[in-house]
Amino acid sequence: MTEKVIVSNKGLVRADFNFWVGKYMDKFYDGLEQKKIVGNKCSKCGDVFCPPRSVCGKCNENLPLDQNWVDLPESGTLQNYTITPYKVTDRRTRKVKDPQLIAMVQIDGSNTAIVNRLLNITPDEIKIGMKVKVDWSEKTTGAPSDINGFVKV
Amino acid sequence: MEKVGIVGFNQVKMYSDANYGRYEMIFEAVRGALDKAGLKKKDITTVISCTNDYYDGRTISNLFTVEVGGGYLVDESKCEMDGAHAVLYGLMRILSGNHKLAVIWSGSMPSCYPYHSARLYETDPTWERPLGYVNDITAGGFQMRAYMEKFGVSKEEIARVAVKNRKNATKNPLALAEAQNANLTVEDVLNSEIYSDPVTELMVAQPCDSVAALLLAPERQALKITDNPVWITGVGYSQEAYYLGERDLSISKSMEIAGKTAFNAAGIKDPKNEIDVAELFEAYAHEELILAEALGLADKGKAANLNSEINGDLAINPSGGALGGNPPCATGLIRIIEAAKQLRGEANGYQVKGAKKAIASGQIGMCAQNNILFALEGSD
Repeated sequence: MTEKVIVSNKGLVRADFNFWVGKYMDKFYDGLEQKKIVGNKCSKCGDVFCPPRSVCGKCNENLPLDQNWVDLPESGTLQNYTITPYKVTDRRTRKVKDPQLIAMVQIDGSNTAIVNRLLNITPDEIKIGMKVKVDWSEKTTGAPSDINGFVKV
Repeated sequence: MEKVGIVGFNQVKMYSDANYGRYEMIFEAVRGALDKAGLKKKDITTVISCTNDYYDGRTISNLFTVEVGGGYLVDESKCEMDGAHAVLYGLMRILSGNHKLAVIWSGSMPSCYPYHSARLYETDPTWERPLGYVNDITAGGFQMRAYMEKFGVSKEEIARVAVKNRKNATKNPLALAEAQNANLTVEDVLNSEIYSDPVTELMVAQPCDSVAALLLAPERQALKITDNPVWITGVGYSQEAYYLGERDLSISKSMEIAGKTAFNAAGIKDPKNEIDVAELFEAYAHEELILAEALGLADKGKAANLNSEINGDLAINPSGGALGGNPPCATGLIRIIEAAKQLRGEANGYQVKGAKKAIASGQIGMCAQNNILFALEGSD
C-alpha cells in the first residue's frame, strides 16, 4: 500500500439498490410531496413519531397503519446541531467550500427529532431551542430531498 | 456461570498505513497468540472472527480468512460487530461445553477503504442515508453537544480526556504513533482541526490498521495452559434506539444496562470502589465521560472531575484507549486484552499497581448505540 497502488478496485459490477420504503414511510413521503409533514401517535403513551413507526419502542405497542395519524406543522424546535467542513457522502475525505450546518429538529407536536441542514444562517446565530421551519424544495417528488433543510422563523 | 479464562492474546502494532497484506496481519495476530500461550493449531476447537463486509470490500468477508485465522476444518463463525462482541460469541461457544479452546480475532485495515464513508452505510437507506448528513463524525458532534448542553460540561474538560489518553498511549508500544503525544495540551486539542463542531481532530479516535487475537478456555483447560489466566466474571450488553432523534445522546442507556448486567453477574456492588482499572472504548473523548457515568464510576455530568490517570482514583484507559489507536472491529477486543494485561501485571510502563478487578468495553453503531461490558478478574 505505501509504495504504490497495484490495484484500486472501483468495482466491476454496478449494483444499485432499490429499497421499498414500507407502508408507513410511504404515507410519510406522500405527505412530503404535498408539502405536509405527518407522524403517527402511540395510543398508549401518546408519543408522536416523525417519521412514523409501526411499533412504539417504549410501550411495544403496535401503531395500526389506518389509525392515529397526526398532521404536523412545518415548524419545529432546534434540539441539537453540529458544523462540519467535510462532505459526509464522499468516497474519500474531502472538504466542502462552505461548512455544512446540520441540525436535529423536533417538529412541533412530535416527540422525536429529524436530522437535516440548517440554511441561511451563520453559526453565531444558532441557538439550541430556537424556532425553525421547513424549507421546501420548489418541486416536491415524495422523496427525502423534498426538504431542503430548516430556516429560522 | 462456569469459569472461562483468557489464556492468551496478541495484538499487531497499530499503524495508520501498515505494510502488511490483510491475511499476513491476521496470521501474525493469531499465530502470535498461540505461540505465546505455547499452543498449536490442533488445540483450537472453535474460531470466531470479527470483521465487516463494508470494511473488507466483499460479502461474507471471512471466507478468505479461515486458514490464516486458524479456522481450517474447525467450528468457525463470524460476528460482524465489535471484537468485544466476538469475545461474547466465543464465550458462549465455550459455555456450550463443546469446546476447549476458542480463538477470537478481529481487526481491519482502514488504510485501504474510506472508513467514514463506510459508516454512512449504517444509516437507514430509506430516510437518512439518501440525505447524507449523518456519519460517525457528525453523530459524534451531536453527541458531544448534547452532553455539554445537558450537564454544562466545558470543551476544556472534554479535551483533557484526549490529552490524558494520548499521553498514556506514549507508554504503550503497540499504540498508533500518530496518536501518541506526551506534550499535548488542552489548547492543542481545542485548536486542532474541526471535524464536526464541537468535535476536533484530536478528540476523535483515529481509525488505523491492526488485528488482535484472544484465546479463551474453560477452567480446567485454562489452568493447564497457564498459571495466570484472567477470568471472565460477568458480561452485559445492550442496544438502544436506531434513529439519533429518538435517543438522549447526553447519556448512555445501553451502557447503563450492560454495566448492571455485568456487575450483577460478577457480584460487583460498588463499581467505583471495587474496580481497579477500566478500559473503555471511547470513539471520541466525550464518550469516555458518558460511558464512565453510565457505569456509575462518576455522577452524571461529573466524570471530568474523576482522577482517571494511571495512578489516580480509578485508572481509565491507561493503555491510551481507542484514542491511542482505533482499528475498526478490533478496538473493543484490544480493550479486553489491555485489561487482561493489567490483571496479569504485564502492562509494562502503564501498569496500574495491584490491579485485581477490571472492566473492558466494546461498542458499535452511531454514538455508541450498542455497548458491551466485560468484568474481569485476575488469578491470585
